[in-house]
Parts: sequence; structure tokens; C-alpha cells
Amino acid sequence: MILPDYYEFCCRVKIVAGHDALEKIPALLAEMGSKKPLIITDKGVAAAGLVDIVVNALKEGVTIGGVADNVPPDSDLKVVNQLAGLYRDNACDAIIAVGGGSVMDTAKGVNIVVSENATDLMAFSGAGALNRRLKTLVAVPTTAGTGSEVTLVAVIKDHEKHLKMAFTSYFLLPSVSILDSRMTMTMPPFITAMTGMDALSHAVEGYYCLQKNPLSDAHSLAAVNMIHQYLPSVTKNPADKDGRLAMAVSACLAGISFSNSMVGIVHNLGHATGSVCGVPHGICMAILLPYGLEYNMHKRGETIAELLLPMAGEEVYRKTPKAERAEKVVSLIRQMNQDLNEITGGRHARYFSEVKDRDGKQMVPREILPEIAKAALLDGATIYNPEDQDYEENLLVLEAAWEGKPLDRNKIKKG
Amino acid sequence: MNLTNGFAFTCPFKTNSGNKALEHLPVELAGLNAFKPLIITSRELAGPKAIGTLINAFGDSGMTIGVFDDVTETADLNVVEQIREIFLKGQYDVIIALGGGIIVDVAKILNLAVSLKVADARQLSPATAIRDPLGPFVVIPTAAATGMETSKYAVLSGKIFTSVHLMPGLVVLDPRLTRAKDGKTVAEAGFAAFGRTLEAYIAPDKNPFMDAYAFTALRFIRENLASAVNKRCNKKESLAVANAVAMSGCVISNTDQNMLHRLGQVFQNTVHVHPGIIIGMCLHPFLDDCMKKDSSRIASLLLPLAGDDKYAAMPEAGRAGDALRDLCEFSYEIYRALKGKIPRTITEAGIQQYLMKDIFDIINQEPDGAYLRTVIDRVGGSSIKA
Repeated sequence: MILPDYYEFCCRVKIVAGHDALEKIPALLAEMGSKKPLIITDKGVAAAGLVDIVVNALKEGVTIGGVADNVPPDSDLKVVNQLAGLYRDNACDAIIAVGGGSVMDTAKGVNIVVSENATDLMAFSGAGALNRRLKTLVAVPTTAGTGSEVTLVAVIKDHEKHLKMAFTSYFLLPSVSILDSRMTMTMPPFITAMTGMDALSHAVEGYYCLQKNPLSDAHSLAAVNMIHQYLPSVTKNPADKDGRLAMAVSACLAGISFSNSMVGIVHNLGHATGSVCGVPHGICMAILLPYGLEYNMHKRGETIAELLLPMAGEEVYRKTPKAERAEKVVSLIRQMNQDLNEITGGRHARYFSEVKDRDGKQMVPREILPEIAKAALLDGATIYNPEDQDYEENLLVLEAAWEGKPLDRNKIKKG
Repeated sequence: MNLTNGFAFTCPFKTNSGNKALEHLPVELAGLNAFKPLIITSRELAGPKAIGTLINAFGDSGMTIGVFDDVTETADLNVVEQIREIFLKGQYDVIIALGGGIIVDVAKILNLAVSLKVADARQLSPATAIRDPLGPFVVIPTAAATGMETSKYAVLSGKIFTSVHLMPGLVVLDPRLTRAKDGKTVAEAGFAAFGRTLEAYIAPDKNPFMDAYAFTALRFIRENLASAVNKRCNKKESLAVANAVAMSGCVISNTDQNMLHRLGQVFQNTVHVHPGIIIGMCLHPFLDDCMKKDSSRIASLLLPLAGDDKYAAMPEAGRAGDALRDLCEFSYEIYRALKGKIPRTITEAGIQQYLMKDIFDIINQEPDGAYLRTVIDRVGGSSIKA
């Protein structure tokens, strides 16, 4: 096990997991001296009945200070300010965020406003602007993928000023994350598949990116093991409670890994594809992950090979010659995409050319790839990728990922 | 791993480890809104060189630093009260503990005293309610660390304070400070961390988060302890062991499976023998018993101990045996390198008969006391009839 010359690792979030983890919230709030939480969620989560499950679990010992279900899919400063007002009007003393990335971001934004008594959220944007503890924030993720229940960032958009504010601070970490199998039970197979692959991309990129360290590694290995074991089976059998819990736990492990070791080309090109074509993040991750591994193979071959044992088990590991282990990892991930494609009746796209919107229209036309390759140059995730990237190389990867062909590694400029 | 029953896990501290880790302190403290640290340490236990290195790391940060360097092995609540007054008078806003063992225990209780704003630290007891997070608290372990520095426990005058809020918010591991003066010190710390994490790692109710820390700690110790003991000057190996020792504090704070730890504590509190010595000698009888109960748990140890290739190459039926063999080899290497500087049995430790009686009295009060006694008997305790 390699000890880097220097590393930092931090995840202060308390993790509470189980089939009845939600019922632990009242006691957890009491431990932290909070009595009246504001529940922040979105309409989709509420319509799926998940908020009712949370409210029910809080019945004993907690006065709910309000349920706000108006978080938009894209975080919005206006909503943050409105919810902060609600928090104050109802004299709340904690926030329970029930949902995915946007809900978590919004809740973190509200927490800054109410804790700092801020009128201008912008003053707290960037890194290091917060320097004291915020109010109690309980994160209840409803997808098993983003890991935002353990990340220290929040992105809030000011739609009026066309501004995107990013906040980074350890103080933004939720106080507690609740991983309860009931919260992901109703997730459709297609969403289960892509969010699960999002988690896998965190675990795998976290394992090969530049800031990797022994602790982020251990989190990655555990996540890779569980995701490979459970994702196809849970996608096939959504009512598998234990599988759901295992996926929630592995997404959290993967979130801890990548938020410490950072992410690379897969996220870089994925962010760009998302912003240019509107492709859901998880789909981008699923499609690009094998290519990220291939792109970095000449620099991280041995590291990638280490993923084989947790992923495929002893027998496959033993039977695969050492020199082929890294490539075997790539082929296993491609196979996962193939299996998920079959399980979801073709909805889980394997290549960019397969990604379609609700009307069956192709979302990533081939001629738009240069635009994506260019947009990716502006995304920060390249900093932590082991191999450098430029426009031509971005395009090389995108074209291979569009066609679904393995990457021609001879064409990578090896830096 | 069976997750069905649910679990909770927490590790409140951030780890900064490696070259010039100390030089990051001013930035880390500013991020906590803290600008006037009081360093709690001991000239005698941590050494003036370590203190100098730490103070120099603040360079031209402009921070005013206070130093209390007079913690002794016998420090008690009176000492905490004495430092509390210094802390208040000097208007310090963050506590930095430099060293291991008692130094950090004192600093933890000091943090409790100043955070709860008690009028007198001597009022504090293990019954004191600790509901909210305490003030900013940094631990900088030296090679003399026992592993408990990063844990939720603080022991002062035999009283055990327990709260997750006693854990530090930041742990700084700097190779200039973690290099051991002698092989014995690093072996003691390594054995203590090894036993504590090993027991948690093979526990039936472990969870994947704690497992990540335990796995990393076990592999670091297995790969580095012998050479850290042999070549004390090797910074890298000592730092790897120090990392594992810090991780073990998180592990022990997240498990109920702590038999080896408790045995170590009893001897430490009663006869001042380092817990690592006792844990080291009890490893084998403990594992023999585990093997008889459920060999699959021992088999899982082969992965962190022997590495991926050896683990995968060994058929399942042979893994537990191989893990035990590896463990024997590991202990043997350490003991051989130390050439008798660490006792291997209670008899060698030279604990007086009347003190063994005290130890057995304490052990008998434990719910699993009868079993603990059989472990002690097998490491030579039976030859000293109490």
C-alpha cells in the first residue's frame, strides 16, 4: 500500500445506515440539541411518497417545522432565500434534506444563509469563506449515486444574474447522512442503473486520480466490490431491500473517496456532455468510464489492475495474467453497461450514439462532439487526471465513446 | 458484510499526513477561525526538538503561540485546571496537543473544560454530559502515540471520559515527529494499533466504513512495522505506522469488539505497562479462540496481511491457517528485531504478584471476565498466582 508524500483526508459526516435508519433521526437530532427541523425536498420525491415515510419516521419526539417541496431541478438562489425565510419564520433549528443533488445543494445554501444570517450568499462563495459550524443538516439521499450526502461543495445558481456560485467548505458537510433502503426502493430500473454507474465512476476515478490516498483507496475498493455485486441484481429486482441498502452504502463510500481524491477525465467530459447536450450525468458517467480507464492506462495500469480483485473476486483475479488485469477491469465495466442495457430493455445507453430523449430523438449528434471537446477544456476536473488532455484527445475519446469502440490508445499523446 | 441490522459510523477528524504537514497548520487554523493556539505538550515526553519543530512551522504566520510543556505521566485534573487558567488568561482559541498518551488526555479534558466553560476543571467527571461539539482541537502525534489520541476516550487518574466530541478535528502526521527514537516505542504503538484494528476487522458486525480504516491500518502495520522497528531512521515506514496508529483511534471508537484493547487498558492503568505489549502477547491466544469459533473470520485477515496475490492464490480452506502463520511470522520478526526489549509473556514483564491480584480483581468485574482470565493465563499469567 502506497503512502503518498503528502495527503489529506476528511469525512466528518456521521453515517447511519439500515432498513430503519430514518427512525433514528429524532434521537440524532436530540443528541445535537435540535428539536424543530425544516424538511427540504422536491416535488418528485414528495410525489413518490418518500417524504411521507420520513415524516412518519419522525413522529416521535420531533416537531416538524415545515415541509418545503419546491426545490427546482436546477438549484435557484431565489428558492434558497425563500426557504431560509421559512426556516426563520417557523423558528426551525435544523434542516433535513430529502432528495438528490439539487436538494442537497439547496439545503446547504439555506444552511449558510440561516447560520451566517447572510443577506448576500455570494459573500460566502468560493473556498474557505466559511469558518465556523453551521446549523444541523441531516442528509437523506433518495438516489444511490451522487454521494452529495458526504461532499463539501454546493452549487447555487442565480438565474436572474446568470451566475453560478460554487461553495466549498468542510462546514458544508452534513452533520449526519441517513442511508435507508426505503428511500431508493421505488427508483425505476433505468435510474437505478445510471445512478449506480455514477457511483462506480466516483469509486474508480477516485482510485486512479492524482489526489488518491490510502483512505480514499480503501473506500473505493469497498464501493467497487459492492457496486459490481449489487447493481445489476438490484436493477433487475428493484424490491431487493438488502441490495438497495448495499447500493446506498456503496454510493456513500464512493462519494467519500472521490471528494478526497477528486475526479478526472470521465467527469470532465461528462460535465461537458451534460452541459452541451443535456444528457443525464449518470448516463455520461456510465458511457465514459471505460474510456477514462483506457485513457489513463499507460500511467495507471497497475493501479487499475488492483480493482480486479474487489470487482470480480479471487477466481477471475487468479486466472487473469497480471499484465491483463487492468484491461479485464475495463471489459468488466463494459459488460456491466451491456447487462444494464439488457435489463432495462435498452434504456441504459452504452454509447453516446444510443442516448435518446423522451421523444426518441438522438441527444448527442455526432457533429456536436467538437463542441463538447472544446467545452471540456474549461472544466476543472482535468487538473486531477493522471494524463494531460487537450482538444484532440478529448475528441478522440468522445468519438470512441460515441461509436462504442475501444479507445485507440496509440493515439494518446503520452505526457 | 451483513448490513441488514444497520449501523452507525463516524470519524470526525481530518488527517493531514506527510512532508511539511506542520507548515499547513496556520492555514488549517485560520479555516477554523482560530488564530491563537495553545500547545499542550511535555519537554520530558515529547522532547524539546519536537516542540521546536512545531513552533518553527508557524514561521511568519503572525500567530501568537502559547506553550504548556510541563505535562507529566502523573498529570491529573489539577493540571487541567492550571492550564485552563492559562488558556483563559491568554485568550487562546484553539488547543494543539503535541505528543501521545497522557499529553493528549490532558488536552482533551482541557478542551472539554474550556468548551463547556466550567468554573473549575476539577468539577469534570466521566458523568459530565457532552452534548455539543467542543472547540477546535488538533492532535499532533509523535512516535510515542498509543493510538488512543485520536479516539473518543480520555483517561485521567483512572477515570475514563467517553464522547465522540473528545476526538480531535484535525490530526497532523509529520515525518519529522513520527520517527521513533527507539524500536521499542514504535513496536508498542504498532502492536496496540494492530490488535485493536484486527479485532474490529474480524468482528461479525463490522461495517464497510470502519472496515476501510481497519483494512488500511492493518496493511500499513503489516507492511511497515518490522522495518520501522529495525531501521528507526526510516521516515517513510515510521510515518506509515503513525498513520495506522491514528486510524486505529477511529476504529476503536466505532466498535464494541474491544477485548484486546480492554486487556491492554487494565495493565496500563494498573501496572503502567504499555497496552501494546499486552495486546501483542495476547494476539495469539485470542486468535486461536476465534479460529475455533469461526475460521472464516480469520480467513478474511489474509487479505490485509498477505496482500492481493497471496490471498487470491490460496484456496478458501487454507486462508485462515495462512493468516495465522503470517501473523506468527509478523510477531516473530518484531520480537526478534527488539532482542528481548519487549516482554513476550506476563512473567517476562516482571509484574509483581500483588499487582496481578489487582489486575485479576478488575478483570473479574468485566462481563467476559472469566474468558479474559483464560487469555491472561495462557500468556504466563497463570504462573503468577494471585
